[in-house]
Amino acid sequence: MDRSLTKAALPCMIAAALACSGRPQRAVSPAEVRAVRSAHLPATPDDPAWARVPVHPAQLLPQDVVEPRVLAPTTASLEAQAVTDGASIAFRLTWAAPARSDRTGPAIFSDACALQLPATNGLDAPGPAPNPMMGEAGRPVEITYWRATWQATVDGRPDTLAALYPNAKVDHYPFESASLAPGSPEQLAMAKRYAPARALGNTMAGPRDRPVQDLAASGPGTLRPADRTVSTGAGKATTTGWSVVIVRPLPKGLVTGSRSQVAFAVWQGSKGEVGARKMRSGWIPLAVEGRQ
Amino acid sequence: MALVRNWQIGRSMSYWYPESRPQRQFAAVFDVNKCIACQTCTIACKTTWTSGKGQEYMLFNNVETKPYGYYPLGWDVKVLEKLGPQPWEGGRYAGRTIFEAAEAGERTAGWRPDELDYSYPNVGEDDCAGQAIVNGAYYQLPHLSWFFYLARICNHCTYPACLASCPRGSIYKRPEDGIVLVDQGRCRGYQECVRGCPYKKVFFNPMTGTSEKCIACFPKIEQGLSPQCFLNCIGKIRSAGFVHLPEKADAENPIDYLVHVRKVALPLFPQLGLEPNVYYVPPLHAPEPFLEQMFGPGVHEALRTYRNARNDPDLAGLIALFGSTERIIHRFKRRGETMYGYDDRGSEILHVPITEPVQVLTAFDPRRGVAPANIT
Repeated sequence: MDRSLTKAALPCMIAAALACSGRPQRAVSPAEVRAVRSAHLPATPDDPAWARVPVHPAQLLPQDVVEPRVLAPTTASLEAQAVTDGASIAFRLTWAAPARSDRTGPAIFSDACALQLPATNGLDAPGPAPNPMMGEAGRPVEITYWRATWQATVDGRPDTLAALYPNAKVDHYPFESASLAPGSPEQLAMAKRYAPARALGNTMAGPRDRPVQDLAASGPGTLRPADRTVSTGAGKATTTGWSVVIVRPLPKGLVTGSRSQVAFAVWQGSKGEVGARKMRSGWIPLAVEGRQ
Repeated sequence: MALVRNWQIGRSMSYWYPESRPQRQFAAVFDVNKCIACQTCTIACKTTWTSGKGQEYMLFNNVETKPYGYYPLGWDVKVLEKLGPQPWEGGRYAGRTIFEAAEAGERTAGWRPDELDYSYPNVGEDDCAGQAIVNGAYYQLPHLSWFFYLARICNHCTYPACLASCPRGSIYKRPEDGIVLVDQGRCRGYQECVRGCPYKKVFFNPMTGTSEKCIACFPKIEQGLSPQCFLNCIGKIRSAGFVHLPEKADAENPIDYLVHVRKVALPLFPQLGLEPNVYYVPPLHAPEPFLEQMFGPGVHEALRTYRNARNDPDLAGLIALFGSTERIIHRFKRRGETMYGYDDRGSEILHVPITEPVQVLTAFDPRRGVAPANIT
């Protein structure tokens, strides 16, 4: 059978199969991510509102453009859904992760996902979309990144060494000496000096109140934090992997009733995926529904 | 990939970035023969730089017993095994460096230690290699049964693999002194540098989510002072300074003299291709094939030169300057039985006798009315 025909027909076959099964029919949007207009933005993965939102099955490819590259595919696909209220857009990404990882440590990597949008849209951005691989010079992209480690912290796992290594014993930290009142400005200032990345305001270093980061990029290797993270997120382990909701503002120029692109990436921590070692999609058309 | 010159392997090689040498290169000489593995250097570094949360397991400086000690576990044997047997042809390395041996899709032939590989900082401590001693032994070199101590810090390489491995350029080599640093504001904790560095001297901090490494105590270097691990070395095995290219060697510069003029101090695993800038005076009592693998083909001549140091007042005098001052000695000069050290402006820092004066005490001191006793 012609392979391209099979590929094109596959989503229709899936939809038909779902329609014939006894289960509630799930709408599929095979060619684009359709952001459904709704006054209510579902902020958690198990919000029932997601049941009414069409699913786009997004194929993922290895990041094989810049070193280090992924040569053997891991996560083949994810399911993407989107809802917009006209100002913000909520995405739900669901994928299979055979061995979930929500820890970060030496040679230990966390599961994660990200979505990417052109930073400017519509009249502000003539010409084609930026390079789907992290944008390009003069044509930046906006990225929101979710990490399972941060989700665990937000969900209540203390951001402490003891939480990561329950049997660890530490004699003494200079910034916790008896002469410093715990939580005092002096004590906090001293603790910061012993955490260089935190002292420099690196957003990787916490403290953390949400499981997502807003970022921007203008090409591979240029990823940088946004001025501040305004997006929110919530991830939940499923029986087969993860379901993650990311709620973020619509990028500049992207108005309801218009179209843009979106791209996704997934990292399987248990496979050592981190940074450039990831599975990613190309640009996928994003249709932002107008007022109902 | 660019073609760069690596004088330690006697040829050009491939590297991720074009050759760009700093204005001057921080360097050090460690005399392995004088190290007693007291770990004072390790503690000096630990208390200065890595007593924060997430840094508990980090040893920017460590001392391990060779051949069976390593931190992290197997750091050297794993990269040697990964490369496989590689030949030297005289002073020219005919094998592949870790940059040239990188697999498809990778920047270096690296490997990533597992979490538990960091759990045995004193594995192999004082474990002997060589022959079993049966029915006694007599003194000979190399020893029938041997080990030695290898003190290690970041080599602040001319071609750092950590820097080459970082896909987002978070690691940089300072143009003013060649010290290699991780930008803690930019790092995103991918641990590619941990994977890339064959010496495993970059460590991931799970509490800040970034990787950290030895900074050569650069705030001290900027003031003309030696790093903490040098200052606190009880065996006075270390000397800090700056090294030049072989053709620009200054015979009055202590590091150049030991590395280029006398060739008694050698880089650690030069065949890996990083042009590391900590140089070792190899141990006299270990088998030379082992040392050749570790320090390159120059080790045989280096051992001969070092063995003759007692008849070599310039060499012996320079080694006597090691650890005698916190300040970095930029030039040295011998006058008779005294060795002088100078700063970068030519002012004398100190002078030391090449042979320490010996005072012979009588069994009974009549003036004080006591019998002196040895206390050491």
